[in-house]
Amino acid sequence: MIKNISRLALNLLMGLVLTGFLFSGKALAADGKAIFKQNCAVCHAMTDQKLTGPGLKGVMDRVPKGPWLHDWIKNSDKLIKSGDAYANKILKENNNATMSVFEGVISDGDIDAIIEYLKKGDEPPVTTVTTTDSTTGEVATDAKGGIDPLYIILAIIVILAILISILRGVRNSISSVTEKASEEELAKPFWQETKEWMAGHRRFIGVCCIILLLIGMRGCWNSLWQVGVYYDEATDKGYKPEQPIKFSHKLHAGDNAIACQYCHNSVEKSRHAGIPTVNVCMNCHKAIQTGPKYGEKEIAKIYEAAGFDPKTGSYSRSKENPIQWIKVHNLPDHVYFNHSQHVVVGKQECTTCHGDVKSMTVAEQKQPLTMTWCIDCHRKTEVAMEGNAYYDKLHAYLKDKYKGEHMKTFTVDKMGGIECAKCHY
Amino acid sequence: MNLNKFINLKAFAISAVAFAFVAGLTSCEEVPNSPGFEFMPDMYRTRGLRYYNQYVTATGDTLNAARIPVSGTVARGFLPAIPKGMTYDMADNLRNPIPFSPQVEKEGEVLYGKFCVHCHGDAGKGDGKVAAKLPGPPPAYDGALKNLSEGKIFYSITNGKNSMGPHGLILDQDERWKLTHYVQTLQGVRNTPVATDSTATVTAPVAEVKEKK
Repeated sequence: MIKNISRLALNLLMGLVLTGFLFSGKALAADGKAIFKQNCAVCHAMTDQKLTGPGLKGVMDRVPKGPWLHDWIKNSDKLIKSGDAYANKILKENNNATMSVFEGVISDGDIDAIIEYLKKGDEPPVTTVTTTDSTTGEVATDAKGGIDPLYIILAIIVILAILISILRGVRNSISSVTEKASEEELAKPFWQETKEWMAGHRRFIGVCCIILLLIGMRGCWNSLWQVGVYYDEATDKGYKPEQPIKFSHKLHAGDNAIACQYCHNSVEKSRHAGIPTVNVCMNCHKAIQTGPKYGEKEIAKIYEAAGFDPKTGSYSRSKENPIQWIKVHNLPDHVYFNHSQHVVVGKQECTTCHGDVKSMTVAEQKQPLTMTWCIDCHRKTEVAMEGNAYYDKLHAYLKDKYKGEHMKTFTVDKMGGIECAKCHY
Repeated sequence: MNLNKFINLKAFAISAVAFAFVAGLTSCEEVPNSPGFEFMPDMYRTRGLRYYNQYVTATGDTLNAARIPVSGTVARGFLPAIPKGMTYDMADNLRNPIPFSPQVEKEGEVLYGKFCVHCHGDAGKGDGKVAAKLPGPPPAYDGALKNLSEGKIFYSITNGKNSMGPHGLILDQDERWKLTHYVQTLQGVRNTPVATDSTATVTAPVAEVKEKK
């Protein structure tokens, strides 16, 4: 009896609270926005853009009047099975994909709040003006840039050369006026004059030639080391090709903190880290259709590759067109490298070889990837053997073998990490 | 007055050489699209088919070595775990073939950190960094998804659900089941604290989920 009364009281209270909400329509709509964001926005946009479900712009004008929408949100399945004409029409329009049943998930009051929000819609956004301003400012500073110091030197040389030639010309013309005798000497062609001067300073010319030759040889020798190496240690600049899509590692791996392995998901299983297939891009970009810098332009290229139509939300096999990414880290064909071996067994971080990719807008090679570099690392890196199941057997064996000796470190080269045939076969 | 004499030839020649030298230096600008000089490119770029290479066919067409596999090809570990024609609503019947253990849960946690955390958030509340950019954040595991069965979790990971894309192509079957275990931990349905010894294979919590349904 007491239980019944308390339940009745609770129901009354709930009813009062609900009617209170109903009367304050604005509060209800704001409430509805929160509920919508939590439960509906996963599939429905407030624009006419189709996500998983249809866009809800002007939905109140489309659907039948009365409690239809309420019933549909509550249990769309039941409504379809009851043979409702409009419900079945919607089902057909959306390729027979049903909407989740919200009965028991959200209350009737919540549904009313959502409907209130659908009636009012979003307030127009106000932040657009400032964003465009900031982008134009950025472009302006970009265009200014910095003047290459070499151009300044070039300009100075040109000015100096003109000055010198004019001054000398003036001097010569003055002297030619005052000393008529020296005119014969002045008339000598430039090349002959130089030749005479060189004949007079043979030793000096010889030493200069030898020095120049040595510098040249050294330059040739250095440049030979750059053959087939895509990274310059002196300038810290590497191969940085322009990719078909302006994909930013900084945005994805840095700002959004998506793990490297999400896209390069074969890195722990295969020789290749893997260039992600378009369906990996689509996992997020099916819903995220505008980027922060290039808007829809660059993301549209993914849709083009996947044969995806963002308006209808459907894929078309015949429109697929693979993205031709350009491989940045190239190893010669005659060397074998395995990612899973280094990452899973060797416990190496991605950054060891690829640099701080999280801060790169365009992927760039940050290590020379030469054999010297490989061997150097194999000589320095200690094998992570403790607690590494892969090395359990070897660890026990080596412990036994080097029992008497005091070994401080055990590097990769000590277990055959610099054998030729480890990588070249 | 003679122009030849006015502009001294020697000074002019010297300045011309200096100009050419510096101009030569400035023209050595970076070409980021070029991989640099390759001596004997055949040693770098194989003619054989390698996964990410392009090759030119006898007819002169450029093709990618990465091709669509023969239809019906199944990658190792990717045998379809979900019977054909099974819908999301029928997925309750799927059973996790991997028994729960702290080890499996730990592996699931590692996978979660790589494949789920950026949307679903550290504790599965749907507050990951990417979730803020989605039209709507994913529901919380211990909220709206608290009573989701293991079969439905597995089905959603494999085929995607709502805004979430299908992950059955990048995670093999075992990994998806391990993830399911960890998602159930985040749901909070595993009320017993994680057993420290592996002999206590926890089957009870799974049964508990079924009872709750």
